[in-house]
Amino acid sequence: MMHYRREDTDRLFKYIFKAAGLLTIALLGGIFFMLLYNSIALFANIKPLDFFTGSQWNPESLNQKYGIAPLLVSTFLVAIGSMAIAIPLGILTATYLSELAPGRLTQFLKPAIEMLAAIPSVAIGFLGIVLVGPGIAKLFGIQSGLNARNGSILLAVMSLPTIITISEDAIKAVPNTYREASLALGANRWQTIFRVTLPAAMPGLIAAVMLGLGRALGETMTVLMATGNASVIPRGFLDSIRTITATIAIEMGEVPYQTTHYFALFAIAAVLFLFTLFINLVGERYANQRRKFQE
Amino acid sequence: MKSLFACFLFAVGSCASGDAIIKVKGSDTEVNLAVQFAESFHEVNETSIVSISGGGSGLGIASLINGNADIANSSRRINDEELELFKKKKIVLDSFVFAQDAIAFVVAKDLKLDTISTIDLAKVLSGVYKNWEALTDKKVQINIYGRQNNSGTHDFVKQRLSIDFTPYAKQMNGNAQIIEAIKTDHSGIGYVGAGYVGHGANTEIKVLYIKDGVVKRPVSPLDATSIVAGLYFFQRPLFQYYRRSSISKIKAFLQFENSDQGQQIIRTAGYYPFK
Repeated sequence: MMHYRREDTDRLFKYIFKAAGLLTIALLGGIFFMLLYNSIALFANIKPLDFFTGSQWNPESLNQKYGIAPLLVSTFLVAIGSMAIAIPLGILTATYLSELAPGRLTQFLKPAIEMLAAIPSVAIGFLGIVLVGPGIAKLFGIQSGLNARNGSILLAVMSLPTIITISEDAIKAVPNTYREASLALGANRWQTIFRVTLPAAMPGLIAAVMLGLGRALGETMTVLMATGNASVIPRGFLDSIRTITATIAIEMGEVPYQTTHYFALFAIAAVLFLFTLFINLVGERYANQRRKFQE
Repeated sequence: MKSLFACFLFAVGSCASGDAIIKVKGSDTEVNLAVQFAESFHEVNETSIVSISGGGSGLGIASLINGNADIANSSRRINDEELELFKKKKIVLDSFVFAQDAIAFVVAKDLKLDTISTIDLAKVLSGVYKNWEALTDKKVQINIYGRQNNSGTHDFVKQRLSIDFTPYAKQMNGNAQIIEAIKTDHSGIGYVGAGYVGHGANTEIKVLYIKDGVVKRPVSPLDATSIVAGLYFFQRPLFQYYRRSSISKIKAFLQFENSDQGQQIIRTAGYYPFK
């Protein structure tokens, strides 16, 4: 009797866990197909070529223009700008934490860095308006600090926790024998870190950067508040930009259902989704590679 | 499903307070004024509760369509697409103009410009003039700070001047943010509801006089008598849309807005009565 019951419970729980797992996949698939389905409807009205190469996004004008180029360029400009700040800073911090910092300091620094991830994006956006923006304006001698540079700095701050935490794990996972071998061959600590430990941890570092980049690409509120939202192809970091996420956030609440504009917002969301999916997949691939190497 | 849920909420709300909660949604321009109305109305009429939220004129009207609001505040006239949706759902719509608003164009204090004609303004906002050389003695780039394109204010300025905004115009989250930006940007121009600049509260910014082809004299958006006389170019009625079927629920509130006390609230909030 007892025997039966246990097997039944086991089977029941197996199904419950399986259902939970499948539900996640179904959600992802469902979101993707909804985006795709609505995006395809756009191309009944707009030529795909115009959508991908058009240099203007201006759905409100009489002569409606749905070119994704300015939004895409803006999105990548601000994300890459943020990585230019966050990658060196993040990896150096991670190296310091795992290789050099005394244990007590690490115990204090690690939670502090993780706390950084807990700051709401709207609060960081606010800092961009009242602090970083005016600072940039003063520094570069321009009138307005609401530009791509502002967004980059804020996004760098936001992606730092991701980059630092994952990089640190990757560097820690490099077997001690590597370091010992390097030191035994007469390399000093500096050479060991930069020529042995960090290259050995490279797959993990790439994973960290990719996940950080994914975070920067998908961030909405901060860039919406701090970058000025001018939808033209920016000429540089000191121009106002408007990212895909900000465009969706601004326009989605107002757009009449089932119109070209509505479908266009789905289409740019699908493009963003594909980019972040790709970047996350690359990140995951490298992260898995690291796991193999640990064994 | 959603409407079912709304009905349920409505039922709970009405049981709890005896009187229903009047939900007002819409224009961010009107939200400050509406909050003051709601507070004063509650003092007079303790059993009724009026809840106010912003989000933009379009959002208010959308909420009215799907039953999430009783009154939609709108700083623009309802458009044909939206009217079509009401027709489809067989909802009879009524409107009420409860106040007037004037749009003020603001620049930094040290910009040598006090008056601007509507023709020049159109050129500035559509990007024909890229710097201030044509209007002032300084050749500095013009930075435009406007509202986002879901805002009724944005639409109003666009339609009134019959222009398309230059894509270089920055789109800010709200009136307060535009004023903050103009304070630091000495070559910026922005537009905000007059309620946000009245009473000399901001000493670092300057409100421009507007001159149009009909009224030859430059008019300031802070000049109450001119506005009541309808002489300012960028003045507009503020609408409240509601379903005719819900009139009994909101009647007392609308009457309060129209009362002497209501008109006084409008004036102190920096708006103008509609008479």
